[in-house]
Amino acid sequence: MHTLTLASIFFALSSAFLLYGLTYDTRLVEQRVHAAERLADRARSDIAILRAERAHLARPERIEPIARALGLRPTQSDQVMNTRMAGADSDR
Amino acid sequence: MLILAPPPPADETVTSHARAQLDRFAKTKIEPLPEPSATFQLRVAGIGLACLFLAVAGQLTRLAVKADGMVQVSAAVVDPVARSYSRPDIVDANGRLLATDVEVHSLYADPSRIADRDEAIEKLSAVLPDLDEAELRKALSDRNRHFAWVRRGLTPKMAQAVHDLGLPGFAFRRELRRAYPLGALAGHLLGRVDPDNKGVAGIERYIDDHVGIDGVLTSRPTERPPVRLSIEIGAQAGLEAELAEAMTRYKAAGAAAVIMDATTGEIAASASFPRTEPARIADATDIVKKDRLQSGTYELGSIFKMMTVAAALDSGSVTPETMLDVRVPLQAGRYVIKDQHSAGRPLSVTEIFLHSSNVGSGMLALDGGATAQQAFLRRAGLLTPIATQAGPVTPPVTPARWDRTETITISYGHGIAVAPLQFAAAASALINGGQSVAPSYIKRRPTDPAPAPTQVVSAQTSAAMRTIMRRNVTDAHGTGKRADVPGYEVGGKTGTADIAGPRGYRQGGVISSFLAAFPMSQPRYVMLVLLFEPQATAETGGKRLAGLTAAPVASRIITRLGPLLER
Repeated sequence: MHTLTLASIFFALSSAFLLYGLTYDTRLVEQRVHAAERLADRARSDIAILRAERAHLARPERIEPIARALGLRPTQSDQVMNTRMAGADSDR
Repeated sequence: MLILAPPPPADETVTSHARAQLDRFAKTKIEPLPEPSATFQLRVAGIGLACLFLAVAGQLTRLAVKADGMVQVSAAVVDPVARSYSRPDIVDANGRLLATDVEVHSLYADPSRIADRDEAIEKLSAVLPDLDEAELRKALSDRNRHFAWVRRGLTPKMAQAVHDLGLPGFAFRRELRRAYPLGALAGHLLGRVDPDNKGVAGIERYIDDHVGIDGVLTSRPTERPPVRLSIEIGAQAGLEAELAEAMTRYKAAGAAAVIMDATTGEIAASASFPRTEPARIADATDIVKKDRLQSGTYELGSIFKMMTVAAALDSGSVTPETMLDVRVPLQAGRYVIKDQHSAGRPLSVTEIFLHSSNVGSGMLALDGGATAQQAFLRRAGLLTPIATQAGPVTPPVTPARWDRTETITISYGHGIAVAPLQFAAAASALINGGQSVAPSYIKRRPTDPAPAPTQVVSAQTSAAMRTIMRRNVTDAHGTGKRADVPGYEVGGKTGTADIAGPRGYRQGGVISSFLAAFPMSQPRYVMLVLLFEPQATAETGGKRLAGLTAAPVASRIITRLGPLLER
């Protein structure tokens, strides 16, 4: 009887410590997860801003004057050829 | 004589009785109760502890297994109090970004914690010059409140400046705000959102209603896939650049154009000038900046003759070669309808189209009658309201009385007002083999079910219309000869319409338009170009006819966009 009582007390105490430890670890992991999520959110937000900035920098209204200044111009119809016609030309 | 003995004294009797009882008790042997065994006690304690541990284990297991359920509960609580929304991106047909959510800082105040309201407002005004001080003072005056927005959507620089003030009772919340990195490009189409990032117009509204947005309390962007439009940024920019140049060239009050796939109705580019910027709230109420393609109806003039000629050919009463004597003016009520530039000879149906003869058009319509004209226009989709993903198209305005006079005027595009986009869709059916199309701004996936088309005209009529429209550009007498682009087989019809005012038609103002399709041997695109109130220039010989204004603009647009659309 005495042994069993002691064993039960020991078991109860160890369970309590174990649960305390688990709770503590869980909170720690939770904090890490939250920190990682915050980092991920930060990264997502940065990506969204960078994509918007890239689209803004590549907007046609900005690119066109630069392209024209470099001597480029919109594609003309005589620069485009129907591939079937090209094939017929090469056959001849 | 009876002598009674005296009774014994009372206390003596009781004492003896009690003593006798005590003696009896003393002689009684009391048996001790049996003691419970130690094993039994241990078992009870053991079972009790086991039950407790089992309960704890069961609870832990339940929590571990039901974790998802708990998340759902918390999400259900969060949703109704969401203060802003995260929206999917909008991209063009090639996946290039048109609209996205970015994180911004929004400043709010807790009036109950503000120490010196006037000082705080003064300092904030120095950092945020356009702050409405009176409104903010009012919002902060109620000490019972714990929340009041001060300014939403601050830039990081402004947020830092406010933060540096170190004002107690003020704090930031990170929110999502819609950004349109291309500015006003395709502004009418994209629409706009409200301060909570909820769509209120255009494609943004369509996303709310049909795609879905997510209520959020943070600034986490949605994981929904982007909404892919049918427009292509390169073609859109080219179209807008050409329209801007046309506005300057002809000193026009406005311009609009749409390029649509002749078979599927998918719109490759559409623009309306003056443009609107989705991020500018003030533009939403500016009537001058309304979308002229689908938020307004206009009498479109002679491009309506496409419908009249197609209806006559489809009825079988005439062929393209049928001759009509158009020299005699038509009487329509108190008006006399005559051609401004009469050929002075009978014209074939094709020539009526090429010369844009009002008399000939009226004669063709009268031949079928008002009922047949209405039936055809209804079949073409010009008398019933339509809608696109950018919103409902303004319904057509038709005459209350549809008699001889109306039949004649409607035959050449007066007396009926339709939205240009609706007309472009109806015109597509006349040249694509005869099948109706529904205009769409969303790229249709191969798996999406295509809307069931209706047969508007026969394939033969459609082929005849293609021939006539092509001749209108290649023929020396064709009104659309300035629209030709080598290699693209352009066909089309011009229209110069008087603008209706409160007291009849306005003097000096016209809408010049050109309905083009290319390549006419197998049309892939239909394009409608409109110039609102273009001015006569030396280049146009002092005239404002569509053949001298809208047709050359159409030519320039096809020249520029053709190679882009061919990809």
